Amino acid sequence: MDTEKVIIIRYAEIHLKGKNRGYFERVFSVNLERALKGIRHELHRTSGRYLVAKFNEDFTDEIMARLSRVFGVHSYSLGLSVPAEMESIYSAAKTVAPESGTFKVDTHRADKKFPRTSMEINAEIGGRLLAENPALKVDVHAPQSHVYIDVRENGTALVFGKFYEGAGGMPVGTSGKGLLLISGGIDSPVAGYMMAKRGMSVDYLHFHSYPYTNEQAKDRVVELGKLLSRYAGTARLTTASVTHIQEEIHKKCAAELNVTLLRRFMFRIAERVAEKKKDQCLITGESLGQVASQTIEGITSSNAVVKLPVLRPLVGFDKNEIIALSKKIGTYDTSVLPFEDCCTVFLPEFPAIKPKLSFIEEEEGKLDIEALVEEAVAALEVIEF
Amino acid sequence: MIYLDNAATTCPSAVALARAETFLKENFYNPSARYRGGDAVARELRLARERIVSCVADPAAFEAVFTSCGTEADNHAVFSCAKRGNAVTSAGEHAAMHQSFVELKNRGVEPRFAPVTRSGTVNEEALLSLVDEKTSLVSVVHVNNETGAVNDIARLARLVKEKNPRAVFHSDGVQAFGKISVRLNDHVDFYSVSAHKIGGLKGTGALIKRKKTTLQPFVFGGGQEGGLRSGTENTFGIACFRFAAEEKIENLKQTCSRLAGFRELLWGRLDRSFYTRLSPEDGSPYILTVSAVGLRGEVLQRMLWDGGVVIGTGSACSSKKPHSRVLEACGWDGKTLDGVLRASFSSETTEEEILRAAELMNRAARELKETTG
Repeated sequence: MDTEKVIIIRYAEIHLKGKNRGYFERVFSVNLERALKGIRHELHRTSGRYLVAKFNEDFTDEIMARLSRVFGVHSYSLGLSVPAEMESIYSAAKTVAPESGTFKVDTHRADKKFPRTSMEINAEIGGRLLAENPALKVDVHAPQSHVYIDVRENGTALVFGKFYEGAGGMPVGTSGKGLLLISGGIDSPVAGYMMAKRGMSVDYLHFHSYPYTNEQAKDRVVELGKLLSRYAGTARLTTASVTHIQEEIHKKCAAELNVTLLRRFMFRIAERVAEKKKDQCLITGESLGQVASQTIEGITSSNAVVKLPVLRPLVGFDKNEIIALSKKIGTYDTSVLPFEDCCTVFLPEFPAIKPKLSFIEEEEGKLDIEALVEEAVAALEVIEF
Repeated sequence: MIYLDNAATTCPSAVALARAETFLKENFYNPSARYRGGDAVARELRLARERIVSCVADPAAFEAVFTSCGTEADNHAVFSCAKRGNAVTSAGEHAAMHQSFVELKNRGVEPRFAPVTRSGTVNEEALLSLVDEKTSLVSVVHVNNETGAVNDIARLARLVKEKNPRAVFHSDGVQAFGKISVRLNDHVDFYSVSAHKIGGLKGTGALIKRKKTTLQPFVFGGGQEGGLRSGTENTFGIACFRFAAEEKIENLKQTCSRLAGFRELLWGRLDRSFYTRLSPEDGSPYILTVSAVGLRGEVLQRMLWDGGVVIGTGSACSSKKPHSRVLEACGWDGKTLDGVLRASFSSETTEEEILRAAELMNRAARELKETTG
């Protein structure tokens, strides 16, 4: 067996899952394969780790970047896989070791039959590196660099210099499937990210009010979906028009309830879409009190029209926390592009902040709810990206 | 589709495309190559240059530097000529000029903006009062792309030169070239033109310059365009530009009078209870800008698209830049600016299309007023 470049992937909470471990690992490896799609590689599972081997080295940076977005990855390292014997380990350590400064050799020995203990390996490899390069110094407490040696049970050793922090969370697909109401703003993509992080597959539903809103708004949502799909897997957006609903509300109902009533329609439509797509919950980017419709009364009024649970992973987040996350996951720049994403034509000057359910229902009674929902559901569009 | 957004771009001329096709096929050679094939293409390029110039000026006195677009031509003139002191332009310029002037400030040249009248022409007196001995460049758009108002650039250039003979005079002629009658006099130094507004292709423009004036290059390389704009020439695009320009110039007078009739026909058919006219009567016959006051032009535009009419708005509406800078400078109020629609015609436009468009514009405004009003 030869020395070869590998990427070592360590996984996060999967080992906690007892009897389901096999299932979790299967989903995880499917997700890893999906993330690396289009780049030549082999993916191997060894005890407690995955190894990406025989990959196209021109793509190393891209592979590392893609792995950073796979949920369930605890950490990953770029290193060398060598036969588990001292000469090979030493040559690998030489390529990993820094050119100058302080360092420390840190060995982990899973193969207890290996003829030397971890301490002995540290001492020998460290000693030889020092002897060969006078610009190096050992510092076991706060070294500038590390040389990690991991002696595996299968006759190989992994040698690497760095741990990169993975995305954490759980493999997408191990926690069911939800439908994200995505607007094109900052919050909803972050909400989708949060759920994907906990292992949920995310479908997307976008409401538009063409011709009051433009097609660019829809394109932007597709763009956000693409960015999010790097984490969340699915790549299909359903869009629904609420134009007629808004016109009817505007014509027949109290202006201050415009948004409240519209949101109830959105939730009803979303539940129908979720039913079709076998989504187990709705997900929104609502944060308590952020806008008039996101008060507890607003939330109560929306929840009242659906049976599915509505998950609001950002409910306790401040706007600046959401923005920080949005920047981290890479959706922020697209989210703030100056397109109109919700219809300002119908926006009331003073929306109701604490709408009473009885008033809402009375106003809604002026509309043919079922017919309007049916009409919207019949005209759904699906965009694959 | 009834296409009335010709000030944004035009459908490429089938005749021009067919005549230029040889530059994609047999004559694809690099005009800098010194074998016969290359020489032949270079010869055609010289001819195209001369023909394009002669559409608006004496080719003995003027020459053309081909660029990638009108914007590039504008930028080239501004950053080459406005090096010190101040530079004067109007508040009714296209973004290509306006933003270049804004940038001048960062380069130590004081930009000065002369106000415009209601119709969009520059206030002549105000413009001249901004010109002084330190003025290095004066640039005034020939045809205002948002209202169609026409500035008398021959007169303005002469008056500017009387005040400061060393000032360079430039005009953005993108909405005039190949559309209205233009003859550059000796006071105009530079004139920007673009192919895709007259049946040519996007990606081709030119800066027409008086031969005696100097221009500084910004793109360096193989020395094409007399060293002023290096880069292998877009031979197909330039050929299309030439053939489209020739086609337009040949029928220019008839087209102008026909379109002036169409413009008034459209205005005459529009329901005055919805629409207010923003375009002047003595403006370009190719543009009629109106406002459905109190309604949103962008929404009407999409409704009209769905109904089969393609029409422009004041400017791409976005939440960050809600109103047209130029129309705002003309002094229109917010409600008028919200509702702007710009119908712009080409030689292909028919009377039938105008009548149908008027009907649909009236219907869209009525419907929108009913649902949102």
